[in-house]
Amino acid sequence: MLPSLSNTRLRAPVNVTWEITETCNLRCTHCLAAELWAQRRGELDLGQCRALIDELARMEVFQVNFGGGEPFLRDDFLDILRYAHSRGITTCVSTNGTVLNDALVDELLRMAPVYLQVSLDGAHVETNDVIRGRGTFTRIIAGIELLSERAYPDFSLNMVVTRLNVGEIADFDRLARHYGAKTRLSRFRPSGAGCGTWKDYRLTRDQLLELSAFLGAHPEILTGDSFFALTPDSRRELGLNMCGAAKMTCAVAPDGSVYPCAFLCHRDFLAGNVTAEPLSAIFRYSPVLERFRELEVETCRACDRFAVCHGGCPAVARFLTQSMGLPDPECLRTAVSAKEVA
Amino acid sequence: MPDWVRVRRESFGLLFYDTRSTRLTFVRSGDNLGSPPFTGPRRVLRVCPLDEGRGPAVSRLLRNLAAKGLIVAAEP
Repeated sequence: MLPSLSNTRLRAPVNVTWEITETCNLRCTHCLAAELWAQRRGELDLGQCRALIDELARMEVFQVNFGGGEPFLRDDFLDILRYAHSRGITTCVSTNGTVLNDALVDELLRMAPVYLQVSLDGAHVETNDVIRGRGTFTRIIAGIELLSERAYPDFSLNMVVTRLNVGEIADFDRLARHYGAKTRLSRFRPSGAGCGTWKDYRLTRDQLLELSAFLGAHPEILTGDSFFALTPDSRRELGLNMCGAAKMTCAVAPDGSVYPCAFLCHRDFLAGNVTAEPLSAIFRYSPVLERFRELEVETCRACDRFAVCHGGCPAVARFLTQSMGLPDPECLRTAVSAKEVA
Repeated sequence: MPDWVRVRRESFGLLFYDTRSTRLTFVRSGDNLGSPPFTGPRRVLRVCPLDEGRGPAVSRLLRNLAAKGLIVAAEP
């Protein structure tokens, strides 16, 4: 029943990551978007957002993953969510959780299902607050408690796995279960502010191996396909097992700029802007996206794990090697030793 | 089509999306199944006229889709 995904060209993305605002009340030390937001290029207004949603519906895009910035700091964000639902599009919101309050949670519960991902970067206050800012753990937990008290049906706690918190994954999973949330682990990438903290936060080879084993033993943990470079065989059926950039997904920045993925919002990968041309045309005809679709990591072809990762994450390879045609530097087969990292 | 399912046509056939789980199902159905509108009431997945001998395979495919909750049986 399944065609080979690596050889299949979809006529439109399955989901689109839409960084809806530049505004954020936190300054996380690994923020993928910090560099871009510092440029303050502006945001689409409500009319432009509705026009883009109309276009997404015409393209039959199934899901929009809203991020930022902090989406709920945008005054018209609930209108944007409602409009997306009215056009049949499923929504997921990545929030830092600090701005959730009774009225907002009640309003979200009245809408069509909105999948919420609440970012929390440790199971303990000391760990999280180093990454997301002093006092944030308490504020985030307060938001999570609001969701938990109302038995919010579709929320997850998301932790970007770094050297600081990798030892707390089991505790983090218990914390999520305590609040009735799913556990989601995301990969730390050297993008945005993550470029500056990469050396201190990146996982050692031993930690990568431990994480791979943990994920293999816990298929219920969500990863959003972050970790395909170290996906154990036991999770093979759970995800794409390949980079979906420009094939299954693309990213829209607050000003309407389109990129292959949220980790490649860099001028070298600018595919177009939805204020100048339709997203459908950008997705089909942009040379930037076409280059991505044709990307092959030839040096990985002989690897016995090729079917599981197809060369891994081009964004990590690009930021660390200046080339996207090289293997993922955090691949289980090629990850550098702990001594080299130190 | 159940309310919670979206489906669209692709070169290989149909691509299903279950909004309850956000899981995708790729169905190599060729031109045997016609996709309904993306949204709206009374969306119906139609079986197109089949070549001789394709009936059993398409029946199996429909049973698989029903087992996954991606379609429900409807009165003719």
